[in-house]
Amino acid sequence: MSIGLGHCLLLAAMLFSIGLYGALAKRNIIAVLMGIELMLNAVNINFVAFNRFTPVSDLTGQLMTVFAITVGVAEVAIGVALAYRIYNDRLTINVDELDNMKG
Amino acid sequence: MMHWLRHGTGGVMMNEMISTLVFYVLAMVILGTALGVVMSRNLVHSALLMTACFIGVGMLFFYLDADFLGAMEFMLYSGGVAILVVMGVMLTKRHDGPPGNPFNNNTLLALGGAGLFVIIMIGVVISTTTPAGGYVSPDTVNELADMMLNKYILPFEIAATLLLAALVGAIILAKGDGEA
Repeated sequence: MSIGLGHCLLLAAMLFSIGLYGALAKRNIIAVLMGIELMLNAVNINFVAFNRFTPVSDLTGQLMTVFAITVGVAEVAIGVALAYRIYNDRLTINVDELDNMKG
Repeated sequence: MMHWLRHGTGGVMMNEMISTLVFYVLAMVILGTALGVVMSRNLVHSALLMTACFIGVGMLFFYLDADFLGAMEFMLYSGGVAILVVMGVMLTKRHDGPPGNPFNNNTLLALGGAGLFVIIMIGVVISTTTPAGGYVSPDTVNELADMMLNKYILPFEIAATLLLAALVGAIILAKGDGEA
């Protein structure tokens, strides 16, 4: 049995859900960022797999992945800067304690 | 053994077996390190395992004939993002000893949500059929550059603007208002 689209989609789905679990269940803001990075990578795997295994005639899927990687890297730079700012102002990076907008 | 690889259907079968084996090894590396990222008690270990996970994903890109993206994944994710995250861990450390990586009170809810997502996705993947086919570029770098600078020039420029905005924003955020 050779590897096809389904295998890659299942792998990406599992990676995405591990990242989702990390993003939702973690207390440290950096750990939440790591979970989001794992989810972004799962989406990139999907793009590349669709480009490889479905009948297309150019590299649009891979080009979309290039843009997705760009956005992901910009997002992690902003995220780390925000975490540093929050730590400087509030001396905590526990996302449960950052609730001053709670009604 | 060697004439298997060179002649007839035996060689094809052998190649397919090796290809399948490589995919499963890569999948195990990716999922294992991703689980390590989430489960590790030490945030530095999480960052290291995240780097290993990105290297696995980059190798999967090579496996899927996307060499340029594989190289990009190695440089940007297992290079740049890993260093940024480790710097974030260092800058936000509160006390001596290894930085902890605790769970919050939503663990069961998050587990349920993630499990539900996997179950739905498995159902979707099994119950749908996609047309067979595929496209392998002989030269991904040239083809991607051609697309990026002709047909997709507008998204390319927007991505450049986004990167500039993110750079300026990150500097302003990290600098704070107090210091001029």
